[in-house]
Amino acid sequence: VKVSSQKTGIILIAPSVFLICALLVYPVLYGVWLSFFKKHSFFPEQRFVGLANYLYLLRDSEFWMSLWYGTYYSVSTIVLQIVIGVIAALILNEAFRGRNFVRGVVLFPYMIPTVVAIILWKWLLNDQFGLINYLLLAVGIIEDPLSWMGKDHIMTSLIIISVWEFTKFDTVWLLTQGGGAEKYIRTLPVFAYMRTFMYYQAGLGSTLAVIMFGILIASTTVYFKMFRREEGI
Amino acid sequence: MSRKKRYKVIIGSVCLFLLVLAGTSLAARKVINVWHTETNPLSRKAIANIVERFEKLHPDIKVEAEALAWGDLEGKIMAALAAGSPPELSHGQPITCAALQAKGLLLPLDDVVKHIGEDNIWDQIKKVGKYGDHYFGLVHAAGTSLLIYRKDLAKKKGLKNPKTWKDLLHNAKELTLDTNKDRKTDIYGVTIPGDNLFINILLGELTKANGGILFDDQNRPQFTSKCMIEILEFLKELTEYMPPGWEGHGYRETFANMYGAKASMMYQGYGRGASLIEEYAPKHMANTDYFDVWVKPHGPSGTKPAAQVDEEPWMLFKGCKHPQEAIEFLKFFYQDDNYLEYIQTVPIHFFPVTKSLRRSKAYQDTPMIKRWKGWLDVQEYYLDNDLVKPTLVIDWKDMETKPYLMEILGSGILKDMVMEVTKENVPPRKATEKAQKRAEELVKDKGYAKW
Repeated sequence: VKVSSQKTGIILIAPSVFLICALLVYPVLYGVWLSFFKKHSFFPEQRFVGLANYLYLLRDSEFWMSLWYGTYYSVSTIVLQIVIGVIAALILNEAFRGRNFVRGVVLFPYMIPTVVAIILWKWLLNDQFGLINYLLLAVGIIEDPLSWMGKDHIMTSLIIISVWEFTKFDTVWLLTQGGGAEKYIRTLPVFAYMRTFMYYQAGLGSTLAVIMFGILIASTTVYFKMFRREEGI
Repeated sequence: MSRKKRYKVIIGSVCLFLLVLAGTSLAARKVINVWHTETNPLSRKAIANIVERFEKLHPDIKVEAEALAWGDLEGKIMAALAAGSPPELSHGQPITCAALQAKGLLLPLDDVVKHIGEDNIWDQIKKVGKYGDHYFGLVHAAGTSLLIYRKDLAKKKGLKNPKTWKDLLHNAKELTLDTNKDRKTDIYGVTIPGDNLFINILLGELTKANGGILFDDQNRPQFTSKCMIEILEFLKELTEYMPPGWEGHGYRETFANMYGAKASMMYQGYGRGASLIEEYAPKHMANTDYFDVWVKPHGPSGTKPAAQVDEEPWMLFKGCKHPQEAIEFLKFFYQDDNYLEYIQTVPIHFFPVTKSLRRSKAYQDTPMIKRWKGWLDVQEYYLDNDLVKPTLVIDWKDMETKPYLMEILGSGILKDMVMEVTKENVPPRKATEKAQKRAEELVKDKGYAKW
């Protein structure tokens, strides 16, 4: 039986289209739909509230604080990852003794599970017993131990670990589990998670997810426009 | 049929037969799922041993016991209930039990209580899971929060058990030490964990110890009360004697400050910590001559000490497949010999819920219990005098009338309020007003507001 090339093409892409629809398109659309409801996260209790969730967030100081923390965190990690990444790439491109070993070491953060990495970092950064403070004190850079997981430095710690680990949400969340000044690094994904799974407010959680999706689309559009303009030059 | 084909048919038939056999054997056994929160290896081993003995007695039942971290449990229970496939049994916080029974999602455990003997269970324990005439929760073991202190340092300074918060502040100041005279603090007066759960536990305790309430009969939050303002002022002062960055410390880091000689007192300690001290403190210090417990003090508006009790009940879920078999398993679990094995895995934190076991020679002779008897005496004093309540529960009736406490705990409202006062220098009045507003919104959102 001869199948036309058009049909073959459709058959070949069908599984991918199905997966994209099931795993991406449907959840996004369901999230948008849910954002207009007041819904319990686990039980079938829901009521249509229109734009009330969006209006609530506009007035919510916790939301604006999360947006600020998220922006600060994202910009810092992206800039640092690009700068450090480029410097590291240039260095590793040069010929020097032990280059292969160093190249292997650079890949180390990718090989360690995030949970393990966070546990290690938390003890390294422990203000009373941590190695980082010990070294900084020993060489005289600081006079008193720094509270790396405390209010004033937890964002710095988060950025350092994220740059090292190249991860996002799970780092923020894991860093504050079992202790941590979580309030001071409550970025939008964490805020959305808390609303959905700790307040059991799935509608509000979805509203936050939709807002994050909007921000992502907007920033991607800006990025592509700039990128194309550069290509044109 | 060729020889090759014949072999294929024979091998295929044998495989099919084995598969059917295995399937039939599994199908014949009733599987009960048990979720518990004792993740330490010794407790897991004890549960595995109990399960093994139970399965020998009941060859038709298979027990799938799973140890889950606290952080995962509530979400997993909710998701399983929503999906219509709950486990047979699970541990849970008392306020979770309260919330679930209010929604009609639990089955009674009256048969288990009857089997143990209602009179054989300590009265305080019975209050946790009894709703109306039925038991919807049965505590697996009880352990209270403790004020742990460095006895050697307190002795040197001539300090006594603080009766009031003022006394505690005095002790904290006296126990903040610069041991090598370099004008820097080496040992801080007191320490507490900074994470959400422990701050909620602390706020519940302090509210009780200061004679206040968190929610009134109309479910309206009472966060702007005089009681709460006094609590926040007390905490603000207390944090002056804490290690900088305490807010970033979890329970284990906080305890490390104790056994690592960086703090003289720990307000939110637990008996489990005795094992950490034995494991990590210098050998000559790993005893009650160095680490002992005081009865907690009360606030300016209170008259009695108060502590939190960590006593998660077993819950049996409506809609599970084999409730009767799960009840049989629980009856077996609480038999003295089985229960003793479980209790002995964390003997200074697991207080037996049965009087028979607590009085038994086998229990009293547990070596660790002998070594840390003072820690257990204080817990027994709290329990017998009804000075302890579960997290955020101020009065026993809260268990039935305030099923939204679980959401209050998860929301972090109380933690944010404490952080604002102690770390951001927000005046207590202002911080309480913000928390009050947030809590009112939450209670209204959950449909419990009656004001």
